[in-house]
Amino acid sequence: MLPKAENPWTLHEAAHLLNRAGFGGSPDEIRAFHSLGREKAVDSLLAPDEAPDAFPPPSWAREEQALADRRALNEQRREMRGAMSGLTPEEAENRRREFFQAMQRTERQHALEAQGWWFRRILNTRAPLREKMTLFWHDHFATSVQKVKEAVLIIRQNELFRRHAFGNFRELTQAIVVDPAMMIYLDTRDSRKGKPNENFAREVMELFTLGEGHYTEQDIREAARAFTGYDIDRLSGKTSHKRRQWDDGSKTVFGKTGAFEGRDIVALIFEQPQAARFMARKIWEFFVHENPSESVIDSLAGTFRQADYQMMPLLREIFLSREFHAATSIRSQIKCPVQYLVQLLKQLEISEPPTGLPITAGQQLGQVLFMPPNVAGWDWGKAWINTSTLLARYNLAGFLTKGADVGGMDVYGGKIKTPGMAPGPKLTGRFWQGPDYEKIAPRPLREEPEKLIDSLIFRFFQGPLPDKTRNSFIEYATAKKGVVFTNSETAELCHLMLSTPHYQLC
Amino acid sequence: MKTRREFLRSTVLGASAAWTVPMFIERTFGQLHNASKDLAVQGVTGRDATILVVLQLAGGNDGLNTLVPFADDAYHKSRPRLAKKEKDIIRLSDYAGLNASMPFLGSMFREGNLGIVQGVGYPNPNRSHFVSTSIWETGDTNNRSATGWLGRYFDNACPGADPTVGISFNKTQPESFGAVKNPGVCLNSPELYRWIHGGGEQAQAEEFFAKLNQPDEADDTPPDGASIAMPGGGKTGGIPGEDNLAFLERVALDARVSSKTILELAAKHKTTVRYDGTPLARNLNLVSRMIAGGMPTRVYYVSHGGFDTHNQQINSHDRLLAQLDGALKSFFADLKEQGNDRRVVLMTFSEFGRRVAENASAGTDHGKASCLFIAGPGVKGGLHGKHPSLTDLAQGDLQHTVDFRSVYGSLLADWLKAPDLKPILGADYPKLEIIRS
Repeated sequence: MLPKAENPWTLHEAAHLLNRAGFGGSPDEIRAFHSLGREKAVDSLLAPDEAPDAFPPPSWAREEQALADRRALNEQRREMRGAMSGLTPEEAENRRREFFQAMQRTERQHALEAQGWWFRRILNTRAPLREKMTLFWHDHFATSVQKVKEAVLIIRQNELFRRHAFGNFRELTQAIVVDPAMMIYLDTRDSRKGKPNENFAREVMELFTLGEGHYTEQDIREAARAFTGYDIDRLSGKTSHKRRQWDDGSKTVFGKTGAFEGRDIVALIFEQPQAARFMARKIWEFFVHENPSESVIDSLAGTFRQADYQMMPLLREIFLSREFHAATSIRSQIKCPVQYLVQLLKQLEISEPPTGLPITAGQQLGQVLFMPPNVAGWDWGKAWINTSTLLARYNLAGFLTKGADVGGMDVYGGKIKTPGMAPGPKLTGRFWQGPDYEKIAPRPLREEPEKLIDSLIFRFFQGPLPDKTRNSFIEYATAKKGVVFTNSETAELCHLMLSTPHYQLC
Repeated sequence: MKTRREFLRSTVLGASAAWTVPMFIERTFGQLHNASKDLAVQGVTGRDATILVVLQLAGGNDGLNTLVPFADDAYHKSRPRLAKKEKDIIRLSDYAGLNASMPFLGSMFREGNLGIVQGVGYPNPNRSHFVSTSIWETGDTNNRSATGWLGRYFDNACPGADPTVGISFNKTQPESFGAVKNPGVCLNSPELYRWIHGGGEQAQAEEFFAKLNQPDEADDTPPDGASIAMPGGGKTGGIPGEDNLAFLERVALDARVSSKTILELAAKHKTTVRYDGTPLARNLNLVSRMIAGGMPTRVYYVSHGGFDTHNQQINSHDRLLAQLDGALKSFFADLKEQGNDRRVVLMTFSEFGRRVAENASAGTDHGKASCLFIAGPGVKGGLHGKHPSLTDLAQGDLQHTVDFRSVYGSLLADWLKAPDLKPILGADYPKLEIIRS
């Protein structure tokens, strides 16, 4: 076990836990969380009092509706084929094209709705760690709707991740083998006896469970033979295993031989001690900091193996550890774009973001939900930040705080397109109300620049800033006080505070 | 020649600005001082210097359906469904031809402005996308280098210290830009490449903004490296050894330094050439605007993704190549119109080629050696290197005949005129005659 953090805990430590294990909160939420005490706070994260189905997905994602839609589509296709007889080849081709274009439009619209649905759920949930783990699994078993093209399958995968949020890593991996979205993404759907497709066999070892260097090319080739014969039913979207297309011959993987199928390969992988170390490192780096010491990994991997790959004990050990709460861990991590956006909205006490924000902002900052760049997921840490994305963060903060007039934000909403996606809905800048500054910065407080700044520093940074930075803010607030300190000056001040390197850390 | 410190000081901070030196500037200053004494320095002066555009084909481009060995029986036998027939290609020799989706590159080849290097790869190839991409980007086949091959070029051959020496149009900084001093900048849309502030007193807000976005006092990081928290992480083109805050401060400063120039220059040029709507075409259009505006940039980096064709490859791969061809056609026409075409050479690369035999899903799995393009009027056109054998395979894969670092070395020395390749590539690699003398 890792050495535990000592009690009592500070307000800053509570904010740190809420930031990392969730997506932050307003000052009031942080104070309420702090009052629980460290252990109870961790318990509340791991056993949230919110039903997993508290946020119903869009209606088209419900099972019966999806089945009905698929049937209707098949019917339309049949009708179209029937109506072809009297047409010239050219007309027939046009009809076909129109049909597929309409289908694609619907799918793109669904993908946008799915993205908006999950983003709002992350923002408003009372189970923040469950959503954070869902995001972790989404990045870990990365699958993009751009290739899968069926948003309903992506939503089902998302629900799978949520069900297993603190569950068993091996069982989740078994479930992923037969998850339709993953099967399409990594081509297992078409992998057959005789000429297996190696895509899934490679990534399951390299990216999902063991890491590069802990398997041989031979293991991959043999395992690929085991991952054959899976199929997805076109109507129901459910997976089946077709024995006749499965390679039933003998395979040798990790030195063991047998007529393995997919399940057996996953079982063999989890017999490797490396599987526990691999996940222990990844989860630590996700929640705490990069490059942990070997002793941290030894301890966590031990816990994880003992718990037979249950995530819950692993997470509890991390969140109660001294190193997690150490001053060097606090505000040392670069926020991912989802964290940046959700945390900012919570700090500004906004529960309904402007239309289009999740997608347009996600594109600007480099993280669109359900569209990871490749099967390795997103690159984290410093990779989020470059000159372009940093300026985009500053300008987005200007838009959300209303501290800058970014031209109705047309530049955000109008021009940016993701390949293969419908143009995102516009961010409706002109009608964007912005935060309630009477609450965030009450007028009497504006008379006392130092107090105002310290209150805003707690809201945005939850910890002390270097004197130089703090003094700059105070200087600015003092200069404003001399004139008229209206809500728009407050907005400008907030925008300035957010347009800093410090704000990118959590 | 200005050091980075002097450059930054004169550009954004003003000569009188009192500020102390954080880790990265101290390092830059110290090292440049020693290094620049006898280095045959090469100016980062935009107007007439040569430019390299690096175009990544992400996912592993199928070299055999790009440069098609149509006359080889083994090719047709291994790919009953995917093989291109002789009538479906643009014939370049008695043995090989170009995928017909690339008519522009075909005409470029006929005019002698397209070099195709065959059988490019490296010893003990790795079939992981991520490891192999890292190897290509760092130029280190052991995949241990914390810097990239282009970053080392910026550090060692471009002492002008201008962060716009390299511009990437990727969402993340490419690993090849990783550097000790100057890792270049990242750009997506020039219109947004500035800090937009509202309200009455613009100047006042901007002054505070400037103050907040320059590196902090050297309160925490002594330049001897004693407190460097962790080695540079993974796949980022950053400076190894920086902690996250120092890193953020440096990027913020680079953004401010480059934003004014880029905005001004990008607005200058309007092209009459039509570009396709693909992200690649859009990014090459931006590159051409930067070049027309007179940016001092020596290296531009763009990507074209989707080449991981495990499944139903024929249409998707042809379409990707057609998009590449269309984007290059507009790009070179645009450069010609500006009169800048002779200054630009473009190189494509991909992390690996694909298996010789097709798989059950009418696609191809990860392979090894592949071909790459070197394009531009400065190029010695034709087929370079030797086409790998389709029968003498390594576990079903083509064996490389040219080391990718030979290609890098030839471009660095003959095109970018790097005075010394040792600090960039670490060793000597046989030179290819791919640049016109």
